[in-house]
Amino acid sequence: MLRKQKLSAPEHKRDPAAHGGTLSMSHNNTRSFFNFSQLVLSAGNLKSPPVLKHSKITYFEVEILDVQSKKQICIVDKVPPSSTLLDVKHKFHKACPQWYPSRVGLQLERNGPYLKDSVNIQSLAVSSIITLYFTDLGQQVGWTTFFLTEYTGPLLIYLLFYIRLSTIYDQVESTKNFRHPVVHLACFCHCLHYIRHLLETLFVHKFSGGHTPLKNMIKGCAFYWGFTSWIAYYINHPRYTPPSFGHRQVSLAALGFLMCEAGNHFINVVLAHQNHSGSKACFPSPTYNPFTWLFLLVSCPNYTYEVGSWISFTVMTQTLPVGIFAFLMVIQMSLWAQKKHKLYLKKFYPEVRRKAAMIPIIF
Amino acid sequence: MAAAGGGGGSRADNGYGSQQPRRRKGPGALATAYLVIYNVVMTAGWLVIAVGLVRAYLAKGSYHSLYYSIEKPLKFFQTGALLEILHCALGIVPSSVVLTAFQVMSRVFLTWAVTHSVKEVQTEDSVLLFVVAWTITEIIRYSFYTFSLLNHLPYLIKWARYTLFIVLYPMGVSGELLTIYAALPFVRQSGLYSISLPNKYNFSFDYYTFLILVMISYIPIFPQLYFHMLHQRRKVLSHTEEHKKSE
Repeated sequence: MLRKQKLSAPEHKRDPAAHGGTLSMSHNNTRSFFNFSQLVLSAGNLKSPPVLKHSKITYFEVEILDVQSKKQICIVDKVPPSSTLLDVKHKFHKACPQWYPSRVGLQLERNGPYLKDSVNIQSLAVSSIITLYFTDLGQQVGWTTFFLTEYTGPLLIYLLFYIRLSTIYDQVESTKNFRHPVVHLACFCHCLHYIRHLLETLFVHKFSGGHTPLKNMIKGCAFYWGFTSWIAYYINHPRYTPPSFGHRQVSLAALGFLMCEAGNHFINVVLAHQNHSGSKACFPSPTYNPFTWLFLLVSCPNYTYEVGSWISFTVMTQTLPVGIFAFLMVIQMSLWAQKKHKLYLKKFYPEVRRKAAMIPIIF
Repeated sequence: MAAAGGGGGSRADNGYGSQQPRRRKGPGALATAYLVIYNVVMTAGWLVIAVGLVRAYLAKGSYHSLYYSIEKPLKFFQTGALLEILHCALGIVPSSVVLTAFQVMSRVFLTWAVTHSVKEVQTEDSVLLFVVAWTITEIIRYSFYTFSLLNHLPYLIKWARYTLFIVLYPMGVSGELLTIYAALPFVRQSGLYSISLPNKYNFSFDYYTFLILVMISYIPIFPQLYFHMLHQRRKVLSHTEEHKKSE
């Protein structure tokens, strides 16, 4: 029997499962056996069985075109079907070393959305060649670097103004004038705010996105550093006028500031821990900590507390530039809160329905 | 500085032209009617200013101190341009709100915060320089918009709009800069619009320094807008040539 089956040796080698064709046949039936074995093979699993050494995996080829000129930049070949877009980006980076993965934006069509790194290649494939359009997203910077730079600047700049550098303020006036305690308190609060931000960036926050264009960092830094210089100049000026309502105004505002700082911190901790352990994503719930009870009224209490901090700081120092800065922060935070709120409404509709975005009841 | 003709920088593709199929949908019939009226009124207004200048020149025999003869219509119609920001915000004009706001505000700033506020510069010749530049530019620009809205744009107007700026824009910018420069000593002297420490709200503002910063800001902004307009000129006028040839 074995000898006779040697005639159908090629098929036999490819698929021992076709062993089922073990019938004694004569030369006349060889052909019908051949046909039969082909039938068996085609009717079986399309996926190659794991035992084989020469497995037939269809590799994909990814053709990468420039989005504006439509010219081909390179072809990434031998892409296994189980790989993700990130693997393709890494291979692309090897071929073209100047485009590192976080800088690469790939789209399926010229005006489509950028594809996420986690997308599976197989889900994109229509044929064995996939065409993607490439956009250079610009120099990228990690979120941690971004926030560290953005927050260290104001910390140091304010201190420069606090120590009253001779180049900024007139030295004679500086030494003569008595400094109201609120100036020292303001310096302490300001530093506390930014040190808290820095520590949270290092130890609490867990960043999901990965990277952001360098342009954003420059814009953010310019905004924060510029405004910090402006407000620090006035608060530490020899001719600074303390608040009109004196100690009462200062103490109440300072208390408000500290409470908002604490609240902001606890909210960030809750948000970070929630992501970490969340097997099933759900809207963060208030804990025994009273500062987190704001979650019952508002969907983005971290922005609420941030805005509260800055308003308290304005009242504490009674300085118009701080007020302008706080106003701009309110606008910025409102926009962010609104976006996040919309996202929450989509994901967690029942819980978030009756909540405001940032300010309880009002907005 | 608000770009003699730069107002079209964002609408230079003929606003209601159809070069790009995926434009936002244009204004409805009511909005178009309103815009036509607005643009006609503005064209007429600037023509009044032009005529006023010519008449004053002929009457006086010299071109000095012509500002006083057209002071009121200039203020009225230049301030009226603020409505254009509203048009962009409402979406009836396909321009960027920020860009239009920037251009209109810089014009209004020069009209009110410099020329009106610092009375001593009103006799300067640089005022005439930018008023003439603005007048010619605005007449052409508003008639351009009017004709575009009515879909009967004569090539001459389009050509004028995209060509005359080459001379008028630098002329206007020079006039503006010289006027601000002339105003500086008077601002310093009178402490106009300036607050100094100490005060209850711990704020200070020095208008003199602010004006100097404004002057410096012309340096990066003017070339950008100018070359943008040149680029638009090449695009629009060469497109028209092709269009004509294909017909």
